[in-house]
Amino acid sequence: MSLPELELEDALRDLGAHLDLPATPDLAAAVATRLREAPAPAPPARAPRPRGWLPRLPGWRRLALAGMAAVLLAAAVLVVSPGTREAVARRLGLRGIDIRIGGERPTTTRPAERLDLGVGDRVTLEEARRRVAFPVLVPAAAGFQQPDAVFVNPGRPQGGRVDFVYRARPGLPASQFTDVGLLITQFQATLTPDFIKKVVAGGLVEEVQVAGQPGYWFSGEPHFFSYQDTRGSLLDEQTRLAGNTLVWQAGALTLRLEGQVSRQEALRIAESMR
Amino acid sequence: MCETQSVEGRPLDDQELVEQARGGDARAYEALVRQYQDIAFRTAYVIAGSAADAEDAAQEGFVKAWYALSRFRAGAAFRPWLLTIVANEARNRRRSGRRQDDLALRVAEDRPSGDAAPSPEAAALAAEQRRLLLAAVGRLGEADRQVIACRYFLDLSEAEMAGALGCRPGTVKSRLSRALGRLRAAMAEPAGGAAAPLSRLQGGGGE
Repeated sequence: MSLPELELEDALRDLGAHLDLPATPDLAAAVATRLREAPAPAPPARAPRPRGWLPRLPGWRRLALAGMAAVLLAAAVLVVSPGTREAVARRLGLRGIDIRIGGERPTTTRPAERLDLGVGDRVTLEEARRRVAFPVLVPAAAGFQQPDAVFVNPGRPQGGRVDFVYRARPGLPASQFTDVGLLITQFQATLTPDFIKKVVAGGLVEEVQVAGQPGYWFSGEPHFFSYQDTRGSLLDEQTRLAGNTLVWQAGALTLRLEGQVSRQEALRIAESMR
Repeated sequence: MCETQSVEGRPLDDQELVEQARGGDARAYEALVRQYQDIAFRTAYVIAGSAADAEDAAQEGFVKAWYALSRFRAGAAFRPWLLTIVANEARNRRRSGRRQDDLALRVAEDRPSGDAAPSPEAAALAAEQRRLLLAAVGRLGEADRQVIACRYFLDLSEAEMAGALGCRPGTVKSRLSRALGRLRAAMAEPAGGAAAPLSRLQGGGGE
């Protein structure tokens, strides 16, 4: 069958009027319930006009970030209290990281050895570089160029993961949960957002920019993180209490920095990585 | 204080509801949700391809839009802005989704049209033509199907289509006309023939 332009359009409209679409669920009630449990929106005060939905990134990255756009436009600081945590932004996320607010408190384990966080094989920086598929970034910030320990896990996630551990020292207090001062993790994230799950049980989640790329800063009350694989099983039996944490993207990498550092210090270290 | 329920004969318009919602009035926002939940859900359905994902995406979109209200430009149209957020959610679910369910559309059985009652033969013929047309739409690539669905099935405006499809408003018209061209070609194919679905790859890119 062949139809002239207008007839084809009419036929499509007619088809649309005769489609059997699924019934719309009662979203208003569900949304109202979620809003009741959540804080009011930020006042429209300083709201700078966003210059576009997304930062200038190559096409697929823009796609990866598309889901975040709404979050980025939302109030930059979410106060997470036990009562509201379910309701607030259930799905924040960067590539390779799925951030859940709320949820069950996992059982925590305290690492046996002081610097061994159970995150992979302990190796030299050079060996770590050889064993992963991406160029390993190292902080240029003074005092952080030489990690006290380097761990590599070449297989998980795909492409591998490298962790730098810095011993606690003056100016870099130990986390209240381990003897470690600072932990920096990097991996090449795929679009599968399931590698690291961060379960936030309290504190603040704040949207930040690291060298122009998106990130989140978690602070305040302790929260949890766990490594999980794409099937959801815990890797390395590793679930720990975490201190202040910055997660961010740098090119194809997703990075995480954790320690008893201020937001400013965390950003300074993060921006120095090259 | 603020009456959010539509008073008989004078429903509050979007602008007023949005203003009230921006001031933190959740009931005003609920009225907006009620007003737009249909189109939001359907848009999400066209993009995500499944009712469950569409519900999830639309709900999440409404919640995110609430938090983003402070950034909503006063005086701008609410509906395209909302649909953009909902469509982003839907696209996310489709991408991260386990299965790429293709949009499952069915022609409704005997829904009486507004016209004078047609003869049974004419009704059967019309239903058959709709099925053929729908089958041809189904043979198109995802991008073509979506642009056609947004325009003709959901009756979205150009600005809304741009938001929902994540493209620049200037490209909506040309996308649509290319999709129509390919639809015409798909209709010329023998239904159920060996011909591969037209331009699945070509249609996927957009520009």
